[in-house]
Formats: sequence, structure tokens, C-alpha cells
Amino acid sequence: MLARRSFAPRQVHVSLLALLALYAAIAVVQPSYLEPASVMNFLRRAAPLVVLACGQLTVLLTGGFDLSMGSLVTLTVLGGSILIGNDPARTWWAIGVLYLIGLATGLVNGLVVSRLKVPSIIATLGTLLAARGGALLWSGGSPRGYLPENFRFFGRFMWRHVPVIEILPVAVPIAAALALLFAWLVHRTVFGKQLVAVGDNPRAALLAGVRVGAVRVTAFVISALAAVTGGILLGGFGGVSNDVGQGLELQAIAACVIGGTQLMGGGGTVLGAVAGALTLFALFTLLNLLGLPEPLRVAIQGAILIATMASGSLRRGAAAGRA
Amino acid sequence: MRRLSVPSVPLALILGSLLAFSATAVATHSNDQLTWAGLGGLIERMVALGIVALGQTFVILARSIDLSVAQVISVAAVMASFVMQGRVEMIGPAIALVLAISVVVGLANGLLVARARINPFIATLGVGLCLQGVLSAAFTDFAGSVPRGFQVLAYGSAGGVPLPILLLLLLTTLCWLVLEHTRFGAHLYAVGGNAEGARQAGIHTGRVLIAAHAVCSVLAGLAGLYLAARLRSGAPWIGRDGVYDLQSIAVAVIGGTLLSGGRGGVWGSFAGALLFATLDAMFTMLAVDPFFQQVLRGVVVIAAVAAYSSRSRLLVA
Amino acid sequence: MRGINKAFPGVRALDNVSFDCRAGEVHVICGENGAGKSTLIKVLGGIYAPDAGTVLIDGNPVRFGHPLEAREAGVGIIHQELSLLPNRTVAENLFLGREPTRYGLLDRAAMRRGARALLARLASPIDPDLPCGRLSIHEMQTVEIARALGLAARILVLDEPTAALDAAESERLLALVRRLRADGVALVYISHRMAEVMAVADRVTVLKDGRNVGTAPRAALSVPDIVRMMVGREVSEMYPAPLADASGEEVLRIERAGNGALSGIDLTVRAGEIVAVAGLEDSGKSLLTRAIFGDAPFTSGRVLLGGKPVVIDSPRRAAASGIGFLSEDRKGEGLALRQSVRDNALLTLRAFAPSLADAFAGALSARRADAVLRSADVRTAAYGGPVELLSGGNQQKTIIARWLTRAPRLLLFAEPTRGIDVAAKAGVYRAMRDYVAGGRAILMASSDLPEVIGVADRIVVMRAGRIAGELPAGVTEEQVMALAVGAALEEEPRAPA
Repeated sequence: MLARRSFAPRQVHVSLLALLALYAAIAVVQPSYLEPASVMNFLRRAAPLVVLACGQLTVLLTGGFDLSMGSLVTLTVLGGSILIGNDPARTWWAIGVLYLIGLATGLVNGLVVSRLKVPSIIATLGTLLAARGGALLWSGGSPRGYLPENFRFFGRFMWRHVPVIEILPVAVPIAAALALLFAWLVHRTVFGKQLVAVGDNPRAALLAGVRVGAVRVTAFVISALAAVTGGILLGGFGGVSNDVGQGLELQAIAACVIGGTQLMGGGGTVLGAVAGALTLFALFTLLNLLGLPEPLRVAIQGAILIATMASGSLRRGAAAGRA
Repeated sequence: MRRLSVPSVPLALILGSLLAFSATAVATHSNDQLTWAGLGGLIERMVALGIVALGQTFVILARSIDLSVAQVISVAAVMASFVMQGRVEMIGPAIALVLAISVVVGLANGLLVARARINPFIATLGVGLCLQGVLSAAFTDFAGSVPRGFQVLAYGSAGGVPLPILLLLLLTTLCWLVLEHTRFGAHLYAVGGNAEGARQAGIHTGRVLIAAHAVCSVLAGLAGLYLAARLRSGAPWIGRDGVYDLQSIAVAVIGGTLLSGGRGGVWGSFAGALLFATLDAMFTMLAVDPFFQQVLRGVVVIAAVAAYSSRSRLLVA
Repeated sequence: MRGINKAFPGVRALDNVSFDCRAGEVHVICGENGAGKSTLIKVLGGIYAPDAGTVLIDGNPVRFGHPLEAREAGVGIIHQELSLLPNRTVAENLFLGREPTRYGLLDRAAMRRGARALLARLASPIDPDLPCGRLSIHEMQTVEIARALGLAARILVLDEPTAALDAAESERLLALVRRLRADGVALVYISHRMAEVMAVADRVTVLKDGRNVGTAPRAALSVPDIVRMMVGREVSEMYPAPLADASGEEVLRIERAGNGALSGIDLTVRAGEIVAVAGLEDSGKSLLTRAIFGDAPFTSGRVLLGGKPVVIDSPRRAAASGIGFLSEDRKGEGLALRQSVRDNALLTLRAFAPSLADAFAGALSARRADAVLRSADVRTAAYGGPVELLSGGNQQKTIIARWLTRAPRLLLFAEPTRGIDVAAKAGVYRAMRDYVAGGRAILMASSDLPEVIGVADRIVVMRAGRIAGELPAGVTEEQVMALAVGAALEEEPRAPA
């Protein structure tokens, strides 16, 4: 018999419960959040983080980190506005260029890690600096221009008068489709299995004939493409600014960790990453509703990150019979 | 694996840096850089990064890492100038407070890593986020100022040698002494080299790790004090904008300290910091666009670490 | 130790075990993997607290809350995984955790003096200023023993000390053990190697399934007695019979190949045969398998597979050319431990997913994994569970199963049964013999001489990175050893047996 592989280990259930609890708290503070339109809006604004978390997960599964995501989001938004230059006709062409930039960044990250053997924490912090510097250099430090309506379509557009849910922001089906794509890729394809094997024991994978370098490079490319996608979604929300992507890489890692992903490789699920991203976003929403200033939200994010890791490692410690 | 032995790495880096610095100065006709004052200016650029890198070396030797140093620097600088408010009599209390905060942060990092067994990368990142959040919520701009008497730390000199340079040399020597000639140092190398073996040898590995984190945070706090003296006031973004977290790690690794722990030393980190200061000075002499400098810095970090790692047969993630 | 009990979730590791060791005695503990040997030692060493029972030292009951307390009571344990720091010197390692200081600073001169004195007690010429990473395994063990003696250990536990040693080094270790016995140290010696048990033991205790099956003076026991007590039955037919005719066509030919560590390698392997590469620990036999597999490739010479010249510069190229590889370090290089048994078995098949459609369609079926796992005789309740829960033998067979999915013509097999208990060894040998029966070949590198002689159709002996000679099946251990150590054999003073 085919035993069903446990798709959702315990940590996912914990974060799903946390998500429900947080959303309930949001509803207590602001009852209008229970209306379908508000739920859809919540999901719309969480969509970029969901996509980023999925991308980050592929790298985390190989035992690495991708810290260049946030800078790449900034680069996408700034670069988009410059490439389009107020001419909506150039949007599609610009999006193509942005994905090429993402592809190049991912290739650089992956090759530096797999060929030059630079640990990914350092390598992607390096590309973080380079991409941020590049974005600022490109925009001359003071971003100007704006993103045309057809670029902002993905993050902004909603179908109205939809039965039951009232509105359907286009970002929601995009994020959902991508999450399903990632779930299939990670859990149901040969590539996904190799991803996890490389993260668990790269030497064993190498000696079993796995192209360890290629698997790693592919993971970084997927992560970078997810970052560009996240940037395009985010571009629909706010203005063009220098710090639009700042800290998103850490939020994406936090989302995965909350969803039960093991750092340094070897395990994690897409469902967990998505649940973690929604949990984190619900937390931000709640803190926002409570009127906490943005900096304090950063502080609480740090505390949550530590608490999640601590509870996970203490549980593991108990399970291993350590006193 | 590596042809260079550890002691020769710092020497080669220092000579190479000075050579590159001189060559650039000659090429750009920046003759004023080739005086003692110019050289002093070069070394002063490395003081803050150098001090942080010393602390980072301690935690990396113990096979940990500290990503909260940038935030500790900001907190230290802001608290120093906020408490001093330009008054000389508050220098003592301000320094005491900063050191106390640093120790507490270091202990928190150490406890999370050693006792709660959280991945040090995430633990210190989380602590850093907490610090940054609280600090930015309380302060939005330069807070207070430091009195002239405190600015001596950055601008004074003793016997013709600028004080900051003396400070860095003194701290480096002190750290070297601790690592090479005390039990704590020997135990630090043991914990980083083989934690299980160290534990079996009766070393309280947790305590060593916690102490290493405390040392690291205190040195970051000292770097914050120095920056407050140099900038005459502290702002909540100075640590983050200086990218001290990444740069201190890169500097330690360039200096020959293994990220996998148990091998390396502070003179290497000293030399690594000099290399970074040299690059900064060269960018300035060559009038490189500041944003492009950021790009180059990223490239240099990767290239420098790659110079060590690419010959290794180990797989990294 | 009296009436020791220790249970873990789901396992009763020790069931009312009593055990004693006297000063100036070597007491050997035998038992299969999982018999409770390591748990017993860990209780003695203060790593685990017993659920019931008492530990007595010099007749006084003691209770250790921490390994340090055991150490202070005079218990020294030399674990199988050596705990020395490779980047620190011998002296630093010897005084680790109790460094002498003067005025708060380390007293390096005193450390060096103390190190010389300790090593002299073991008649060892090791330089105390050398980094431990440059020592041989035997030298590192000597340093570990010196460290324990430096801590005034009166009870010394050696956990399978010869597992990673070759025959000559093992002899030297046994001499050291006898020297310590004469010094009045109580030695607890854990081993599965019968020859060395008979050579060194005063008394023997056999553990099985967490129980003490019996304790007796060595003189009262024979090897078959001990083996029967360990496995609870006779182990007959450990080595399957070789094929009648093992001279098939040539699978592998190496001509004058070499790299940094190996030189002048000439070797052929034919279909249907198991060729063993024997030699001392640092003779290059493991490097030879790695060179053939492209992990540390040859840089000169020629390699021919099935008569065709090939260049193999990566493990993937090797696997694609029909070579398989099983490392001696099963956990470090063989298995993705947290993944399921199935995922581990399918690793290579997936790495070579024949087409893009295969790569994306359903991760290759679990049914396929189960079939191959069954054919390799991997026995476990759940193929979907993590491979780390399996016994050593079943883990080894899981990696064999992985290669069965591609059925390479040549399988390189390093230390096939290292760390695998006696009963499971026979299963691995059978799997090897079955493998070559289909016109394929195995090149096995092994430090275990009875295994080399029992399994191989032909024996290639290596010495110092070169091939020292070739022997047919049916030779004696002495003949193999003579080639492996070269002319040095006659000059080496033999320890009294």
C-alpha cells in the first residue's frame, strides 16, 4: 500500500491554529474584518509574502538562505518604474526584463554558493548589498515616476460583485495558483525530492549521482523569480520607494520557520510556509489595528521568530530525551 | 586545502592593503594620503568595524554567529548621547549603562543559542529586530549629544598617535591575550572545534558560548560608544547603515577565521578590517559613486570569502 | 554495577544488568549492536542516569549527575568517535578543561612538560606540539588514553577501540592495553572482534537485548561459545560460496593511473567476481574507490569500462557510466537520514530521471521503491519512516537497494560491514554475492581481513598508495598482512599473544 506521506507535520497545525486565533482577535478589534470583502482584501495584501515565503522555502530546504529577496523586490519596483518610464505600452516588455534580472540574480547566488563555495548567508547578503546599491544607483537615489495602471493590475485589480466573496482581487488567485505550483514542485516532483535530499545530506546526494550544484542553483533561481513576482504584486499597492522591499527576506524566512521549516535543510512544507506567511501577516494586521507603531511591529516580529524557534527546539529536545 | 598558514594571513592582508592604498594614492595624485596623517585617517576608518569584528571573531570561533551587532551599536550610540546630553558628568553613567545593556543583550543571545538551542542566525536576528524596533519606536532622529570631553575618544591623540588607533590596538591585543593565553580562550576553541568533545572534557560548553556572546555584544557596545564620540551624537540607524553585521562576519572570515568554528584569531580580523578600510579609502580617492560603492562592497565581500572557500572540497549550503 | 535498568521511549535498553571489573583486569563486553553495550557505558560514564540499580566504585555507591562527576570518580571513557580537536596541539588537547595557569594565564611550559610525562607513561614518542589533526588514528587514541590517565582514571573504558585500526595498529593498541593492566588499571573493553577478545580478555561478559547473558573467565570460553551467546544461535555459512566460474569479461581496467595520493595503479575487474582491496588504514584503498568513482579523480593513466576508455571526473559521471559507490561512512556520506527509507532508495533513480516527464510525474512511484527495497531484503515495519531509525545492516541494504535501481556493472563498496553486527553481516555478504551473480562485479575495500578472505574471489593488496600485489582466494590472513606491511613484517617486534 502507498502510505500517505504526512503532508502537514505538527508545526503546520500549530501555525494554522495561531492564524485562526490571530484572525479572531482581529475580528474582535475590528468586526468588519469578518466581511468577505475584508477577508479577500487581507489575502490580497498577504499575497506577496505568501509568494516570497514559497520561494524562500525552496532555498531553505537545500540548507541555504536567500537574503537577497528584499533587495530584489526593491529593484523590481524601482526598475519597473524606470523601465516603463510612464509609458504603459512598455509594461510587458519591462516585466520580461525584470524577470531576466531575477534570473540573473538567482544564477549568481546559486553559482557563488555551489561553485565558489561561499556560504549562502554571506553570498546572498553580498547580493543584497549589490542589488540594493544597484537599485539606488539606477534610480539616482531618489525614485521618480510611477507605475502605470496595467503594471499595478496584479496587485490592485479586483473583480467586483462576485457571488459569496463579493470581491476577488486578482492577486489572490495568482498567489493561490503559485502556492499550488510550489506544493506540487516541492512535494510531488523528482526535483522536490532532490531539493530535500541535498539539504539533508549534500555529500550523500552527490555520491548518489545527484547534480547537487544544479539543484542548488535552480533553488536560488526559483527564489529570485518568486521575489520578482512578489515585487510586481507589491508594486500594485503603494508608491515607488527605496525601502519597499526592506526586511521582506526576513519576513519570508520567519514565515517558513513559523510553518515548521527546519533551517539548515532537510524538512519543510509549502502548506506550512503559506500558513506561516498568513500568520505573520495577520499578526502585523492586528498590531496595526491596535495602533502600534511600525518599529514596534518589527520588534514583535523578532520576538515571534525567537519564540517559534524556541518552542520547536525545546520540543525536539524533549523528544530526544534530553533533560 | 589552504596554502597560507594562519599567522601569515594577517601579515599578507596588511601588506597587501597598504600596497593597494599607496598605489591608488599615487595613481590619483592624492599625495596628502601618503603622509602619516593620511595613513592615520585610513586606520581610523577601520576602528568601528575593527572593534565589532573582534567580537564577531569570538562568536564565530565558538561556531556561533551574531547578527545583532549592528543594532547593539545603534542602541549604544543613541543611549550614550541621550544620557550624556552634552554634560561631562554624565559620561561615566552613560558608559556604565551602555555596557550593562550590551552585557544583557549578549547574555540574551547566548542563552537563546546555548540553552534554548535556537539556530544562532535566527536567535540573534530576532534579538536584533527587537532592539531595532524598540529603539526606532523611542527615537526617530539624533538623540542628545556627547560632550567635548567624550569626543576625545574619537578625535584625541596621545603621543602623536590618534586615540582611536590606540584603542583598537589595545583591544585587539587584549582579545589576542584572552584567546591565546587564558583558559577561556582555550575552551572557546574547543567548543567551536568539537562541542561534544569539549563537553566530555568537562568544559561547560554553554557557559563558554554565552560568555563569547557577551564579549561580542560588549565590543559592539564599545564600537557604538566610539561612533557616538565620532558623530558627536547617536542615531537609531547608524549601526544598520554601516552594515556592521555582514561586514564584521566578512572581515573575520577574510582574516582566516573559519565559519565552522575552532580556528582563526583576532589579528586576522584586524587585518581584514584594514582591508575593508583600504577599499573605502580607495573608493573615495577614485571618486566612486556612493551607490556604486555599495554594489562593489557586496561584490568584494563575496570575492573575499570565495578566495578562501573556493579551493575547499567541502560542500556548503 | 548492580541491577542496572534503563528504558527509553519504546525500548528497554538495559534490563537488570550487573557487571563488575577489578583493578588490573581486562573485562571484555561483547554484544551485537543494540545489545545495550553503549547504554551500559553511558550509565557508568554519568551520561545517563539509571532508572534503577546502583553503580559502586571501590564498594561505595555513587550517583553521577554529570559526566564530570564520573570523571572525578576515576572513570575514563574512550569513545569510538574520538573527541580530539584537530586544530589544537597534543598538549592543548591533553589538558583540555584543566589547563594549568600562572597569574591567570595559561602555563604552556607546564602543559608541554605534563604532556611529555603522560605520553612517556604509554611509551609513546608523539610530539606534544603537533596539532592532533596530523596524527594517525592510533596516535589519536593514544592521546585520548593519555588524557584519561592524566585525569587519574582508574577505570578505563575502551569502546571498540580497534574498529578504525588496521591489524598492525591493533596489535600496538593491545600491547598498550596489557601495559595499562600491568599498571593496575581496571579496563572495560568493548569489541566484536573475536580474535582480539581471545587475545586480551581476562573475563568476558556477553550482553544481548539489554540483558547480561553470561560472564565467564576467558579460559572457560571458546569463540563459538561467545558467538552463540551473542546471537542466540549458531552463525553458520557466514560467507556464501563464490560462483564456480568467475572469469567473465572485463568490466573495469585501470592502466598506470594515479593522482596526488595514488600512483601506478594497474587493476582489472571481471564480470561475476568480487575483488577485495586490502591494506592498512592509510594504504590508499579507500582513495582508490574514490578515484574510480570520480570523487577524487585520477589525474593520470587510463580507465576503461567494458573495454572503452572513459574519463570519470565526477560521481555523477561515474554513476552515468555504470559505476555505483557505497561509502564506508554510511551516515556521513550515504544516507539522507531524516528522509524516508523509500526516498533514500530512490535517490539515484531520481537523479537520473530519464526524461523531463519522469522528473515531473509524481516523483517516481513508491511501489517501485518498495519492490527494490524488498529485493535487497531491507526489513522494517515502515518503508515510509525515516531511514535513521533502521539498524546499521538495514541502512546498508537500503543503499544497496538504491544502486539496484540502476544496476551498475561495477559496484565500489568500502568497508561493507563496518559497524554492522555479526548476524546482519551474513545478509550483506549474501546481497553482494547475489549482485555479482548477474554478470556484474564488485570492488570491495575492506580493513576486515576475515571478511576479505571469506568474501573475495581475488585480493588486491595496497601499500602506500600503490598496489603491492595480488593474491587468489583461499590465502591466509598472514599472507595478506605480509604484503600489506611489506618487508617491515619481519622487523616489527611482535607483541606476546
